[in-house]
Amino acid sequence: MSKDYDICVIGSGAGAGPVVSELARAGKSVLVLEKGPWLKENDFFKDEMACCRRTTYTPKLEDEQHVIEEETISGDWVSEPTSESGWDFWNGNVVGGSSNFMSGYFYRLKPKDFRLLSEFGPIKDANVVDWPISYEDLEPYYTKAETEVGISGHVIPHKHQEPRSTKDFPFPPTNEHPIVKNIDKACEDLNLTSLPTPRAVLSRPSNGRQSCEYSGYCGSYGCRSGAKGSSRAALLDGAVATGNCEIKDNSKVYKLKSDSTGKVTEALYYDANNKSQSVSAKLFVVACHAIETSRLLFASNGPKHPDGLGNNYQQLGKNLLFSGGGSGTGEFHYSKMDELTATAMKTRGPFVNRGLQDFYFFEDKAFGGKAKGGVIDFLLRHPNPISKAMATRWNVDDNLNWGPQLKQDLKTVFTGSQDLRFEVFNDWLPTDNCFVSLDKNVKDKWGSAVAKVRVGYHEHDLKVGEYLANKAEDVLKQMGADNIRSSISGSPPPNLVAGGCRFGNDIKTSVLDANCKVHDVDNLYVTDGSFMPTGGSVPYTWTIYANSFRVADIIKQRV
Amino acid sequence: MSTAKADSLNIMGNDDVYKNLSDPWLTLASVQEHLFPADETSPGAKDITALRFLKNMLNAPDTDSEEKQFILKGPGWLNDLSLKQHNKEFSQLDSETKEKILRQIETSKAGNRWLSLMMTYLVEALLSDPVYGGNNNQKGWQWLEHIPGFPTPTIDKVYFKLGAHASPKRRTKA
Repeated sequence: MSKDYDICVIGSGAGAGPVVSELARAGKSVLVLEKGPWLKENDFFKDEMACCRRTTYTPKLEDEQHVIEEETISGDWVSEPTSESGWDFWNGNVVGGSSNFMSGYFYRLKPKDFRLLSEFGPIKDANVVDWPISYEDLEPYYTKAETEVGISGHVIPHKHQEPRSTKDFPFPPTNEHPIVKNIDKACEDLNLTSLPTPRAVLSRPSNGRQSCEYSGYCGSYGCRSGAKGSSRAALLDGAVATGNCEIKDNSKVYKLKSDSTGKVTEALYYDANNKSQSVSAKLFVVACHAIETSRLLFASNGPKHPDGLGNNYQQLGKNLLFSGGGSGTGEFHYSKMDELTATAMKTRGPFVNRGLQDFYFFEDKAFGGKAKGGVIDFLLRHPNPISKAMATRWNVDDNLNWGPQLKQDLKTVFTGSQDLRFEVFNDWLPTDNCFVSLDKNVKDKWGSAVAKVRVGYHEHDLKVGEYLANKAEDVLKQMGADNIRSSISGSPPPNLVAGGCRFGNDIKTSVLDANCKVHDVDNLYVTDGSFMPTGGSVPYTWTIYANSFRVADIIKQRV
Repeated sequence: MSTAKADSLNIMGNDDVYKNLSDPWLTLASVQEHLFPADETSPGAKDITALRFLKNMLNAPDTDSEEKQFILKGPGWLNDLSLKQHNKEFSQLDSETKEKILRQIETSKAGNRWLSLMMTYLVEALLSDPVYGGNNNQKGWQWLEHIPGFPTPTIDKVYFKLGAHASPKRRTKA
């Protein structure tokens, strides 16, 4: 029977882009179904109202939402729909997905991240496992992403540097903010290795994309120059140009139909006019955000998969991951600087791009010896002025603040200091209390059950986070910052999510095989962050890109 | 207060928004000015055309209609109270009495919500892109020495004409 397309890909973010691009370039016919609209470079402005104050790039929560289940202090699990709590778990539902809006701090995992259980042993109540592939299997694809996505950086040898097949990055680092010198000096004093953070931001034009314009607004904003390595700018535009790839935007897939042999035959979706449509393909790839991928597979029951595709052993949605850690801040008051230094500190545009990996692995008695740590990234406080001003609406007594006092507070917040922040990334241990299921009551605007997400965390994550935050605070102290504070919590960052369709060698304990194919479905792959059984202690995007390039090579062999 | 300069910043509605005010806008403007007063060195609510911003946002297609009605009913309640206690409408009160009455309504749940909303729209008016009608001539950004990014939004691509808000049928594909 003839099929409409060779490959149908659901979703268009970082997990989808490499498969789409590679298969289209290999001459296969590829259809991309993306729930959101197709915005282009000339639709993106430095507009805080659009990016951050109103709902522009994500659905209205009344239309599409999640139900979040949290543990109360009494130990009960209580769920609340996000349309009531306002706790938005969407990240960017447009062509290219949330990669349009990322900051693009790019890290590879380390070889030991692929065998966490063997290296560090079990942790009670955590489902830590080794990966079915090794760092060496993924390395060529990390390297491929450097060129294909466009990653700028510079390799400096240090004790936890992962092996590389090339000497350095294909693009030199982006321009750096004057405060970087102070960070480097403080780290040197503390005997730490201040490392340039690789960024998915072009420092030179490449492949029809311009280099960064240094407008000073990157994370949360769509990129106007094309420098940011979003799936759209870096991969999908090129795939469409081959003539082999079609992107249907405003197309929300709600079910994958499978036949009596368990193979997927059709994707059913609602088009822009909310009419149900169907499309057939030889092979299907799901990459529509970790939570939504599990949700779609749950909704896709069939003759061989009564509980949802890939769920014959009740593994679907399990071991969802976020990123452990938190953030902190230190203030550098202009009144304590000479005018020249103050002017330099006020610079807007270039990046900070500094981080520490000294504590990626460490030894400490409090952790029983050898332990897995994480990374610390330094960055300036986000320049978004409205969000910066919002806190001044309340005074210390929690009363509304207005009039002359408000104005004085605003002036201080905006003109008193440059604030250097840090972010800590450490493993969010997989546990039985962090998973996706379908909610029994709440539906989206098309009548489909929404995802219910239990967001429990492991206490160990906080311990590691605090350890790293203290190290980061030491750097701020050494730099002479005032009012240093940090916060480590078990609250899940909705923009850093993976897992739910863990890959592994045993169908009884994983959803996907080592090739990211659903174990007992011959023509269904998952290529977003869902495959990750453990998260590593870095942002996921580079690993998602790399793995999708790896799976693309596997798929190329068979269609 | 600069007026009617025919520049691109005035595209989000007319610049005469403060002329011949009648309620609810008269009272809303008066409340805004009290919450965000001008002084010798810094702009007040009128200087940043906070009323124009509020009008624009209340008319934006995504603004919750319940919230809009709630904000627009505020002046009625406020003036009822003001007339009862002081025999004058709110805008006619001196600054001290205005402060008293606003602090009084802050203690009620509805009053607190109404004032919080007024404050939120004020802060947005102060610091959003002038295309939305506030931050007149970038006075808010200038006062707080804020360096905006680029490019800044154009009138045909304000947030409610993009993404989830735009009608899919009108959108064209590349």
